[in-house]
Amino acid sequence: MLRFFLLRLFRALVTIALVVTFAFVVLRMSGDPATIILGPEAPPSAVAAFREAWGLNDPIWVQYLSYFGAILQGDLGMSMRDGRPAIELVAERIPATLQLTVPTLILKLAIGIPAGVYAALHRDSIVDRIVMIGAVVGFTMPSFVLGLILVLIFSVTLGWLPSGGQDSWLHAALPIATMGIGGAAVLARFSRSAMIEVLGQPYIRTASAKGVSWPRVIRGHAMPNAAIPIVTIVGFMVGSLVAGAVVIESLFSWPGVGRLLVIAVSNRDLAVVQCILLLIAVTMVVSNFVVDILYGYLDPRLRNNYAKA
Amino acid sequence: MPLVDIRDLKVAFDGVHVLHGIDLAIERGEAVGLVGESGCGKSVTWLAALGLLPKKAQVTGEVMLEGTNLVEAPRKHLEAVRGRRIAMIFQDPSSSLNPVIRVGRQIEEAIHLHHGMTGPAARAEARRLIELVGIPDAARRLDNYPHEFSGGQNQRLMIAMALAGEPDILIADEPTTALDATIQAQILDLLAQLRTETGMAVVFISHDLGAVSQICERVCVMYAGRIVEKCSTASLFRAPRHPYTKGLFGAIPRLDGGRARLSPIEGTVPQPSRLPKGCAFAPRCTEATARCAEARPALLEENERAVACFNPVIAETPARRPAKARTRQGELETA
Amino acid sequence: MSMPLLSARHLVKTYASRRGAFTKPTLVKAVEDVSLSIDKGRTLGIVGESGSGKSTTGRLVLGLEDPTGGRVTFDGAAMPGLKTPEWRGLRRRMQLVYQDPLAALDRRIPIGEQIEEPLEIHEIGTPEERKERVAELMRAVGLRPDQASQYPHELSGGQRQRVVIARAIACGPELLVCDEPVSALDVSIQAQVVNLLRDLQEEHGIAMIFISHDLKVVRNICDRVVVMYLGRVVEEGPSDEIFSKPFHPYTQALVSSVPVPGTSLTDRIILEGEPPNPASRPSGCAFHPRCRFATARCRTENPQLLTVAAEREVACHLLGPAQVPASIAS
Repeated sequence: MLRFFLLRLFRALVTIALVVTFAFVVLRMSGDPATIILGPEAPPSAVAAFREAWGLNDPIWVQYLSYFGAILQGDLGMSMRDGRPAIELVAERIPATLQLTVPTLILKLAIGIPAGVYAALHRDSIVDRIVMIGAVVGFTMPSFVLGLILVLIFSVTLGWLPSGGQDSWLHAALPIATMGIGGAAVLARFSRSAMIEVLGQPYIRTASAKGVSWPRVIRGHAMPNAAIPIVTIVGFMVGSLVAGAVVIESLFSWPGVGRLLVIAVSNRDLAVVQCILLLIAVTMVVSNFVVDILYGYLDPRLRNNYAKA
Repeated sequence: MPLVDIRDLKVAFDGVHVLHGIDLAIERGEAVGLVGESGCGKSVTWLAALGLLPKKAQVTGEVMLEGTNLVEAPRKHLEAVRGRRIAMIFQDPSSSLNPVIRVGRQIEEAIHLHHGMTGPAARAEARRLIELVGIPDAARRLDNYPHEFSGGQNQRLMIAMALAGEPDILIADEPTTALDATIQAQILDLLAQLRTETGMAVVFISHDLGAVSQICERVCVMYAGRIVEKCSTASLFRAPRHPYTKGLFGAIPRLDGGRARLSPIEGTVPQPSRLPKGCAFAPRCTEATARCAEARPALLEENERAVACFNPVIAETPARRPAKARTRQGELETA
Repeated sequence: MSMPLLSARHLVKTYASRRGAFTKPTLVKAVEDVSLSIDKGRTLGIVGESGSGKSTTGRLVLGLEDPTGGRVTFDGAAMPGLKTPEWRGLRRRMQLVYQDPLAALDRRIPIGEQIEEPLEIHEIGTPEERKERVAELMRAVGLRPDQASQYPHELSGGQRQRVVIARAIACGPELLVCDEPVSALDVSIQAQVVNLLRDLQEEHGIAMIFISHDLKVVRNICDRVVVMYLGRVVEEGPSDEIFSKPFHPYTQALVSSVPVPGTSLTDRIILEGEPPNPASRPSGCAFHPRCRFATARCRTENPQLLTVAAEREVACHLLGPAQVPASIAS
């Protein structure tokens, strides 16, 4: 078991290192931070001083190594724009993002899984068709389009809900709805197919054949098996809790991590971008890890592999 | 009065009939074989009887069990019959047990359903059943999962679970097909032994005529959704009357035969949606006449056997030579 | 005595089964010291249960896998290394037919093209000649040449296996290895395919290794039979004799396990327990935990395959060359 943990930890660290490297390369290759932050009309002396202060004159691999070394020591660098520690800037935005993403996740689970399971149990019924059409629409429509439609209806036409800002819970309603509908659609589709797959398995027939009532077959025999694939996709959703709202935060002017990322990228504010990417990578890796543990809990066939790994 | 009396049972999927009216009565304690190739309807008959087919299946006819027609019975009634009066085991034992539930709990669930036992009592009963079906170290193995057992052991567990309800009939749907030869022999042996001990009736569904003959007193041969021949095992093997039955015998090589060319049945089983107008077997039949292509022969009883054929095989040619007593398995003497 | 078409000597195949990246792999011997040979135009059956190594043996003699030990000789020359040009050239002389025809065929390509493919690969004939040959092959396996444009899913299971067989014999192979070729087919179709294989084998003088768990089919089609248990050959001999008078206790149980109508269950030898996992092979004779006759020697010492009667070899301590015929011929 310990070996399994260590192996996963090692893989997680490699993943994070790759993410950091990738972000560094892409951001540094796509433009000079000095000219972007100071503006094209900045005096050459100011640019030179900026470059000197941030170590931008060193060879790129030296910058990379010193950057990487700093991260290893827990130093994620300073924002080139604000001059404050990047981690501070990001951390103060996290609660705002969670305010959106946590209710969104709950909404996705509360709508998506029951809708999918219900559709699977009543296959080809009217409800199944409605769920499937809703799922396809929710699945294919980009979130900003859906967001704009919701704004048009509820803010512009009906005037019930604000279309931007973060002043009250009311302000969160539209962004949460926008993300929740799309995610619930994905989850409904997934739960439906997972459940249909399981219902076709011989052990479901066995359970019925031994006299178990249908509702108990569903709860006791089908659900525990269908949960295994559903957990995978829920894991992905949990993994995007911190940074899953880039587009929506920008659309609704919500001051969260996602919006900060957009600003930092356009400013080539390397430390902030890196910090956010690191945060994304870490949450993804952690949620994957939790999913793996859950797998072992849900599926005894995998549990054995861990024990022997 | 028969224990279960199936009358004119028909099953259709999306308007296509796969079962065209089955009449079959099972008496208390007897063992009946259902033989035929894939798609002939032998499994569908019993899945339909127990209401285990998908919802889109249209089932008509009667399956009488103690005065109730199971085809029209409410779900609650069916659930009370399943496992308790009629239990069923299946072809692929390894996927027929729930992979995420300990086998002990799966058996205890059946015990609880049929006898109301819970806790240590149910566990003790589960242990007794597992021992009964010949799984060593029963107490410890109750806590294992299906994937920790071999295919043969999983089939034993399925049988243990079926025995939990002390059913009047056990439907064994190809129970040995997925297993290795020596394990097949073990499971057949176990089924025969349990039948003697419990007195339950056994319906043995198989494509293996040899296996059926070792368990059953009576055999029904099915083809394309109908019973085409019905008689005692002994007379079926002595003198098959339907050309299809005779064809099956000719198609199976014999272990005690030589390297003689087999005489297969030509052609393939027709698809349910494209059945010929007359006798479904006519296009493959060596005895077919013009009449066979036009009209469908009914299953007619005569001298305690029934055959659905206009030109039944008459000659008393034994399909099997009287089996040589298997002296060849003479005991080894240790040197 | 003429040279056999194919001979395998002391084949060993070990697989490393690894559960995690950092764990020490456990070695599983799928095949252990298997020797067999087959003459031109003859048929050899390999029977055994799951885990007996019969399929692995089939792949080893075809050169589809490199053995861990031992060697395969085909037509007097050593089997060339995997994927070398010589190895590729040899493919047209030896072919494999296995259980699942749907997996063996490409479902997006018409069957005619699939039968033609080996002819193209080995550059046999002009395009016109190839078309003619495909039609000829299809007739030979009982398909109509006008079915050439059909796709695998439009055919029945038996017809698909006919396509696979037509493709296998397209280049006129000298050796055909059939691994459970009829197991997935219905009884009445099995007989058709068995007859087809026999006819082709006799007509073209193809040597055939027929791997199956179905003793009845092997009995019907093979001259000689090899019985395998847990990676080793436990008995070999002419199929007439092996099935009527099995020597090895395992073969006896295997033969006895085939239900023959008219014999009662009680006459049968029912083995206790199940074949062990190849990864945890019992000491001594691998069969001893299930053997009715096992002695102390069987638990410690692995019996060698010895000739005990004319053309018959058995690996069993109880069956020395001298005493066997006497004690069994009763």
